[in-house]
Amino acid sequence: MKRFFCRGGSRAALKKWAWVALSLFCTVAMADDNVVNVFAWSQEVSPKVIRQFQKDTGIRVNFSTFDSNEVLYAKMKASKQAQYDVVEPSSYYITRMARENMIEKLDLSKLSNYKNLNPAFTHPDYDPKGEYSIPWVLGLTGIFVNRKYYPDDKIEKWTDLWSPKYRDSLLLLDDPREVFNVGLLTLGYSPNENNLQHLQKAYQNLVALLPNVRLYNSSSVPSMLIDEDVTIGMAWNADAYKASLQNPDIEFIYPKDKFVIWVDSFVIPRNAPHRDNAYKFLNYVLQAKIAALQVTETFYPTANQAALAYLPAKLANSPVIFPSDAVLKQGYFQTDIDDNALDAISRYWDLLKLQ
Amino acid sequence: MKHKFQYFSVGLIAGWLCVFGLLSFLVMVVMSFLQHDPDHIALWHFTLQNYVDLFNPIFFTIFLKSFYIAFMVTAACLLLGYPFAYIVSRFPERLQNMALLLLLLPFWTSSVVRAYAMMSLLKTKGLLNTALLSMGLIHEPLQILFTNTAVTIGLIYNLLPFMILPIYVNLERFDVSLIEAAKDLGAKYTTIFRKVIIPLSIPGILGGCALVFLPAMTLFFISDLLGGAKALLLGNLIESQFLMANNWPRGAATSVLLTAIMAIGLLVYKFKSSNKGIHYEAVI
Repeated sequence: MKRFFCRGGSRAALKKWAWVALSLFCTVAMADDNVVNVFAWSQEVSPKVIRQFQKDTGIRVNFSTFDSNEVLYAKMKASKQAQYDVVEPSSYYITRMARENMIEKLDLSKLSNYKNLNPAFTHPDYDPKGEYSIPWVLGLTGIFVNRKYYPDDKIEKWTDLWSPKYRDSLLLLDDPREVFNVGLLTLGYSPNENNLQHLQKAYQNLVALLPNVRLYNSSSVPSMLIDEDVTIGMAWNADAYKASLQNPDIEFIYPKDKFVIWVDSFVIPRNAPHRDNAYKFLNYVLQAKIAALQVTETFYPTANQAALAYLPAKLANSPVIFPSDAVLKQGYFQTDIDDNALDAISRYWDLLKLQ
Repeated sequence: MKHKFQYFSVGLIAGWLCVFGLLSFLVMVVMSFLQHDPDHIALWHFTLQNYVDLFNPIFFTIFLKSFYIAFMVTAACLLLGYPFAYIVSRFPERLQNMALLLLLLPFWTSSVVRAYAMMSLLKTKGLLNTALLSMGLIHEPLQILFTNTAVTIGLIYNLLPFMILPIYVNLERFDVSLIEAAKDLGAKYTTIFRKVIIPLSIPGILGGCALVFLPAMTLFFISDLLGGAKALLLGNLIESQFLMANNWPRGAATSVLLTAIMAIGLLVYKFKSSNKGIHYEAVI
């Protein structure tokens, strides 16, 4: 290699080629305008919905997924120039993103299908005026158990998971807030706790649970449940339902010591590069038929009440996916907590995973 | 024309390394001295706090754990890789190429995909358990997946070629007449191996160890997938600082520290081996 750099006469040539090489790196892909960049939770938008949207509108969807709100938030913060047109944060992150001016107020006049939504979900605590978000999927976090392995165990509360007989066997969701919800609820606190002392107690409570924890995962839960890689732990109702279709031994339990209801919603980031297409996408997925297709494909409950008419009876009547009002009353909606509390949770989360 | 092509390819590689190696590393170094700010990537204030933060018991624990796993992986790769490299280097040339091709063949698939493949081998109802159960060797499925053992197996599988190749390159150029000389002087084969072959292949061994050790501490997706997302490796810590804690400066400090440790290790080796080289030549 040295040879090339020593011959004085060729220096100009070398420079030229170096520039060619450099400019190759800087080549930016030609901008394609008829696209919409969607960034959503993995497994939460059915590929069929995307394919139909592309077919019906001719707009190409650049679809990518994330596994935690923290990742979504970090990626949005990392680039000054907005690159996504539609993103799907969980409820409590919407408050945060609105406060930090990261997302736009929606022009509801562009969303003719907005009326399909259940009004109970259009003015939630995390977006009281319903200006920023379109609820897309709901979920309830509870306990799953494979009855083949634990046929007679009485499991009806989160606290039952602390029992020493479940050593090294629990699945916990790979999500700091979800795990801390369990830590807080079992102590009788609210999952939307800002009190740092209560959070510390919840942390100590969770440390006591650690010997029972086998793994953290939130993105491929159904397959792990079906293959019996884990036989007990926490799961979202949709995942447990999906798994129980193939492995009937799986039972889903709504814990008696309360549980959390979360809502993942679509929002439009500030300065979205393809705003018009973002609205087209949102209005498209708000259609009753599309929302129903989404439910039959993913089994996540929907806030789209018009969609219920299009669902098969078995799905619409499933107590796991659409629990009764009496059960729902036991649920807390997850809301935003302040920065100090969030910092504390994230610090404790690192500690939990390190032990 | 040929020269132009050479300039082009050298320029391309140099440009590549400058932009994606040197430049991004420099960004990390600068970042590691900036102040953390929750609303921005970093604040433009010089601080040493990120490095001070690393000197706390938790980070120390994960450093140790990570070192331990990387050490086990490196040792296992050496034990498996050295005999393999030695045997292959004694093959006829055509067989050698074939063996190396087979060694590198799995690398045509993405390592994440191979980690998933490893999961399906190790899981409760996976290939390994099914085979052992049907042979009657075990009666309960082995719970390997989501343990440290699974992470270690995954890392060894992924990194073994990086141990074999440097050792093979070294042994392949080995001067056979040295062995003959030792034989003539009456050395037994074990003695030859211990006193001639191993000492002369030390550069290959150390090169292999360096190539295995650092990735073994940082391949976070292996411990995410096979270890059940419990933070076992330094790579997980760096990842979580960037993506979960949103603390880029500290993540940068952690990775700069890791690079520094590796650099010091390599410098020590270089210093020692240059001493040894002189020593060796003097003996000849």
